[in-house]
Amino acid sequence: MDRETNRPKKLGFRPSKAPNPSPSSSSPVRLRPREETKRDSTSSIHERRNPVLDEDEETGSPIFSYLVGTCPDMCPAKERQQRERLRDLSVFERLHGDPSRTSSKLAVKKFCRTMSNAELQEVEIRPLPVLRSTLKYLMNLVDTSDQPFEVVHDFVFDRTRSIRQDLTRQNILDDEAICMYEEMVKFHIESHKKLAMCYTKTDLASLCYLNTEQLMKCLATLFKLFDIHRRSSSLYKNEAEFYSFYVLLHLGGKIPQMGSSLSLWYRKLTLSILQSNEMRFSMTLIRYSQLGNFKRFFTRLEAEASDLQLCLVEPFLSEIRARAISYVNHSGYKLQPYPLKHLSDVLRIKESELEELCHVCGLETTMDEAGMKTLPVKQTSFSLPKLGLPVHSLSTF
Amino acid sequence: MPGPVTAWGPSIPRWFTWLLRLLFLLVAFLISVVTFFFRRLPVSHRSLPPSSSIRERSLGQSRQEPFPAMAYLSMGEAHRRITDYLSRFCDAVSSQDAATLSALLAISSNFASLQAPADALNVFQDSNQLVNQVERYAQFAEILSPLLRCLQSYRLGRYSDAYVAFEKAANAFLQEFRNWETAWAMEAVYILALEIRLLAEKADRELSSSGKNTEKLQGAGSFLMKIFGALAGKGPKRVGALYVACQLFKVYFKLGTVHLCRSVIRSIETARLFDLDEFPVKDKVTYMYYTGRLEVYNENFTVADQKLTYALMHCSPNKEANKRMILKYLIPVKLSIGILPKQWLLEKYNLMEYNEVVKALKTGDLRLLRRALREHEDRFLRSGVYLVLEKLELQVYQRLMKKIYVLQKQKDPSKAHQLKIETAVKALNWLGMDMDMDEAECIMAILIFKNLTKGYISHKNKVVVLSKQDPFPKLNGKPVSS
Repeated sequence: MDRETNRPKKLGFRPSKAPNPSPSSSSPVRLRPREETKRDSTSSIHERRNPVLDEDEETGSPIFSYLVGTCPDMCPAKERQQRERLRDLSVFERLHGDPSRTSSKLAVKKFCRTMSNAELQEVEIRPLPVLRSTLKYLMNLVDTSDQPFEVVHDFVFDRTRSIRQDLTRQNILDDEAICMYEEMVKFHIESHKKLAMCYTKTDLASLCYLNTEQLMKCLATLFKLFDIHRRSSSLYKNEAEFYSFYVLLHLGGKIPQMGSSLSLWYRKLTLSILQSNEMRFSMTLIRYSQLGNFKRFFTRLEAEASDLQLCLVEPFLSEIRARAISYVNHSGYKLQPYPLKHLSDVLRIKESELEELCHVCGLETTMDEAGMKTLPVKQTSFSLPKLGLPVHSLSTF
Repeated sequence: MPGPVTAWGPSIPRWFTWLLRLLFLLVAFLISVVTFFFRRLPVSHRSLPPSSSIRERSLGQSRQEPFPAMAYLSMGEAHRRITDYLSRFCDAVSSQDAATLSALLAISSNFASLQAPADALNVFQDSNQLVNQVERYAQFAEILSPLLRCLQSYRLGRYSDAYVAFEKAANAFLQEFRNWETAWAMEAVYILALEIRLLAEKADRELSSSGKNTEKLQGAGSFLMKIFGALAGKGPKRVGALYVACQLFKVYFKLGTVHLCRSVIRSIETARLFDLDEFPVKDKVTYMYYTGRLEVYNENFTVADQKLTYALMHCSPNKEANKRMILKYLIPVKLSIGILPKQWLLEKYNLMEYNEVVKALKTGDLRLLRRALREHEDRFLRSGVYLVLEKLELQVYQRLMKKIYVLQKQKDPSKAHQLKIETAVKALNWLGMDMDMDEAECIMAILIFKNLTKGYISHKNKVVVLSKQDPFPKLNGKPVSS
């Protein structure tokens, strides 16, 4: 019978098969035929259609050759030397502060979009153990560095992207990869909150956007990995929570579009995910937010959100609160200004922060005879500011 | 001279009787030879349904086993059948007979009539040579050789191989089609579009059951785009573009890559190459169905209403199943704009999952709505209308408030326009919904904001003061304002 394509026999070419549905935890799973036992670095190039992990590929499935890396350091030597020469070293990579010197313990491989796989050599790709330790190093940097957060974020953002690129190029699909992706998702979510907190800087809006974009790409790949590893109806330890992150992202108004609406996304999920607590929680939050039922939204959020879920949602709370203020403003009684204390209770925000939010949205606040702050209603000057709203966290009472 | 021959009539010469006997024996001999020779052929010349043993052996099972049942087919007959197929193809092309051509290409949708040559191909293994030897067939060798391979593989139940061969043949056919000036072969192109999808689906099923990657349907999508590209443009071939677009929609919906429909829709609607009126109604119905569904997912209810209603109105009256599919999406849309279907409609088209939803909207029973959504959650999530139905909650609240208002009016018309929030809370608690004053106030605020209620809330006095005129305006075909 015909082969699928008439490719000439290459060195080490064999048609590949789908992964074994129950991978052993000891050896990493790769999409490789089971007959292969030896793997020497020069002849381990395989051709495979339909790459599983390519994050930037939407439609077609071009033929994609994947390699097995051999680079022992966080950054391949060739790149290290090149960047030393060009003085292209981040502040974290400089040896004793010298912008033209680095070491193998400091330099981390940069993300580079332009390279096609044909030109790459194995020595420039980091194998799984090296990637693991690189990620650990980067996460440690986030916790311990005393540089301003935007600088740290920028560095780690780019270097983790490079880690993901190496994972994709080697088509690593096992449990380790899942752990690493989960770590990266966590990083992006925590960054999401931290970046949003300093809203006064104008270019942070694009940083936030890019961060969210990468977060969504990580999530998308993570979901593909979960799909591959799915055994009957049991879920990975945190699988449901990660799916709930994707849903909760839709609370924000300006997230990058992932191509299809939430309705279509739900169609693809299994029942066990849809019925998990985390998913129910996030779907209900979306419902309350869209309906405008702020009371329940905030009580439920306070009661059930995990730390990471809260991290993800907090930057969106201002917009939701602003909407609530506009409803109150619209539907109130002209002669009776609305007490801010009560509203701040419902919206789980400090009274002073609520006052600030009102002002930012163009509404005045007054004081009544008892000295309580109030919001006169039926003001016509309500508008959402272009630069974004200040982020206030959830105040618990 | 005794003998029965001479017993009657005048005497017959002896040599004549011997001649007669000889002739008789000769004829008998010939008959026996002929029957012996022709015993090996099947009884009728038309396509013979294979015996059950052949079917059992060939359906995707052991590939190394020979097909002893095929031995019933002689080489001569096999050769005849194949050449018959090939010449029918060439005749159809030269006489521009699209109907015959389509029948020859309909591998999976019309396999019964192609079984004869398919059987023959498994006996006569050298069909390639046959195609290349004869000048008439050789000019279409790029189409015919893979087409024969496809037939052969399909007959053996090897759908993945059949798909690959068909894609080759279809590519070559498309090339030819591009060169033909008129659109005489459009029907054949339709069959090509249909078959590539059907074969890809079958191939993917086969691949997934043996644990391999399913990628054929994606390939079919790319090929359909090629056909679309060949049809898009000025000229009579335009008329087939909508059919191909619908095949693409089916592929994308099946693959879950629905966002890819956007580029197709853009080409059809905004590129100003096409005027929707020039397409056949059947294709327009399918097109409106799929684009209507997309609008439902994006919650553009007004447009979704237009498209799905068009599809319903122009759907052929006897296609009950299609009407049901359209209604499955049209009903949530209509509910979102305040139009309720009648009970008999739900019963007739077996859409009773919407029954409780409709009742909840009629009576303002929020508990019923929530229950209906829970009960059919899986179904609604799969079809993608869950979020649309969830949003109906607001209209249910409106209905409930209106009921309270009406009751109050009956009791004391002068005070009816003042609705105590406490009353609303009591009503909702009575319905089994756990609600407090703050939440009820929230709901009232949103009802007023979205213009489902006219009035204002006095937070201090915990009362909603309704407008004296039409405090609960109907939606009247417009979706809830956002």
